[in-house]
Amino acid sequence: MAEKTIYEHLTGNGMSRREFMKMCGVLAGAMGLQMVPPVAASDLPLDPALDVSLTQKVAKALESKPRLPIIWLEFQDCAGCSEAITRSQSPTLVDLVLNKISIEYHETLMAAAGFQAEENKQAIMDQYHGQYVLVVEGSVPVGSDGVYCTVGGRTAVDQLKEAAEGAAAIIAVGNCAAFGGIPKANPNPTDAKGVWDLITDKPVVNIPGCPAIPEVTTGTIAHFLIFGTLPELDSLNRPMTFYGTTIHDRCLRRPFYEAGKFALTFDDEGARKGWCLYKLGCKGPTTYNSCASIKWDAGLSFPIQSGHPCLGCSQPNFWDGGGFYQGQSAPLNRPNLAAVGAAAAIGVVAGAGMTATNRAQKKQAASREAGGSES
Amino acid sequence: MNWNEFLEFTRGPLFAVSLLVFICGMTYRLVRVVLLGWNKDRVLAEGSKAGGVVKSYGKGLLILPFVPWVKNTFKRNPIIYLFGGIFHLGLFVVIFLGTAHMLVWKSLLGFGWPTLKVPIVDWFAAATIVAMIALLIYRWTNPVLKLLSGPAQVFNWLFVFLPMVTGYMMTHHLWFPYEELFSLHMLSVDVMLIWIPLSSISHFMFYFFSRTIHGIEFGKRAVTP
Repeated sequence: MAEKTIYEHLTGNGMSRREFMKMCGVLAGAMGLQMVPPVAASDLPLDPALDVSLTQKVAKALESKPRLPIIWLEFQDCAGCSEAITRSQSPTLVDLVLNKISIEYHETLMAAAGFQAEENKQAIMDQYHGQYVLVVEGSVPVGSDGVYCTVGGRTAVDQLKEAAEGAAAIIAVGNCAAFGGIPKANPNPTDAKGVWDLITDKPVVNIPGCPAIPEVTTGTIAHFLIFGTLPELDSLNRPMTFYGTTIHDRCLRRPFYEAGKFALTFDDEGARKGWCLYKLGCKGPTTYNSCASIKWDAGLSFPIQSGHPCLGCSQPNFWDGGGFYQGQSAPLNRPNLAAVGAAAAIGVVAGAGMTATNRAQKKQAASREAGGSES
Repeated sequence: MNWNEFLEFTRGPLFAVSLLVFICGMTYRLVRVVLLGWNKDRVLAEGSKAGGVVKSYGKGLLILPFVPWVKNTFKRNPIIYLFGGIFHLGLFVVIFLGTAHMLVWKSLLGFGWPTLKVPIVDWFAAATIVAMIALLIYRWTNPVLKLLSGPAQVFNWLFVFLPMVTGYMMTHHLWFPYEELFSLHMLSVDVMLIWIPLSSISHFMFYFFSRTIHGIEFGKRAVTP
């Protein structure tokens, strides 16, 4: 018997057609698609290439596709991205898990444990070979043959490569999985790497952030579910829809930056008036993410709105990108006094040496001249 | 290497190396000048040497820039004088009184100072860029300057102009992504740091050196510098 489609699954659970269409609209919105009902109703100019309503497109996909199996692996992580995704508002994780996707393996969320859980994962990988989405959270250590992170007695590298082989798509959630994150920070004792450093034969969608914005994770999964393809990616394999602009571009404090009004400390007049946090180390100008537009906790706020500078957590190597509270213009490495002293000493020695050589040559020339005139 | 990595490179190791080359090179230049030596002072000073130095700086920093018509150079070459003045003043304001640059100094020296508002620094930066373009055109069109200009002069201009332009574009988020402009800004600054000891841009240090020496000489002879 053919597997039930998502629509059949939903109607089987008592969802009406009207509710289904409403949900499709929400999903289209979650993916940042252009023709969601509020946008379509706003009379804003729309992309003429998209002639079909996206809601209809979403509905059509859900009517014809079975639920998407997900295998969620956690390596060197803090489970913060999983924690965040449980707070996704559109679509909610509950909605995703119960209705549209089927998370088959997730160490933090699943009730099963031990060898049975591992066996189940293996069974799912075999059953859905070439169909499941592999989501990775946490970096993968490759130092000392990968012994720094093992699950069920097997290294993270081994598990990742095995799971990636049969995956239809790979999504690296959080900065650790995408770019190595905090485990990769200097001195990187475990030789931690991002997923795309290790899996090179398949495209890896990076959803960096610390944690990743839950709606971005669920929106990307929903995109793959509905269209069967990966969203358009930037040069760091991040979905353009969510990582197309910098935090600074969409920042609510941007006018203060333009006007040159900066908070100098966290409790001065500027801070109280909501002025720009650039001088307090904000990394917004070089950080690509949608914190400033999607925000967190159902659009309640995001760090800059709450008075804290952006740490740049969705950029590679953000942990080594200079002090969090040091202005971004400051250089990353300050030569230490010994190096400065050595450079100056070389200058002094070279200068004195050159002068001495010149003097000696002058003297020689003078004596030669004197000798020549005598003869 | 993506732009992010390139930015890390130009802000990090390349900047550190450039700074060390700059320090080494400038020390070398200074030592060479100091070791040229000067004759023993056998004549009784007629006036105060310290007074001469004070007058020399007063004239150089306060009178000549702001009352330029007392100087012959101004009458002969007002364009160079005017645009040169704007350029130097603008450069000083941008490098020392711009917020982003003060933060660089703060990270290097350990202390900061109050800065000017961004729009004010912005005007100075724009004026500096315009002055630099005017000076380049003048250099190309003036027959004497044209004869005196070789590749070194072009590089001098270029290695100061590039940081100015990329910095201005970066502040205003013009045309290119911020991190690309930031990377190019840092790259051009790094190149400039390496170039300064090799070039006549090192006059920023020797200016103070020669002003002091001239002040002493004038003071000794009790004449106004």
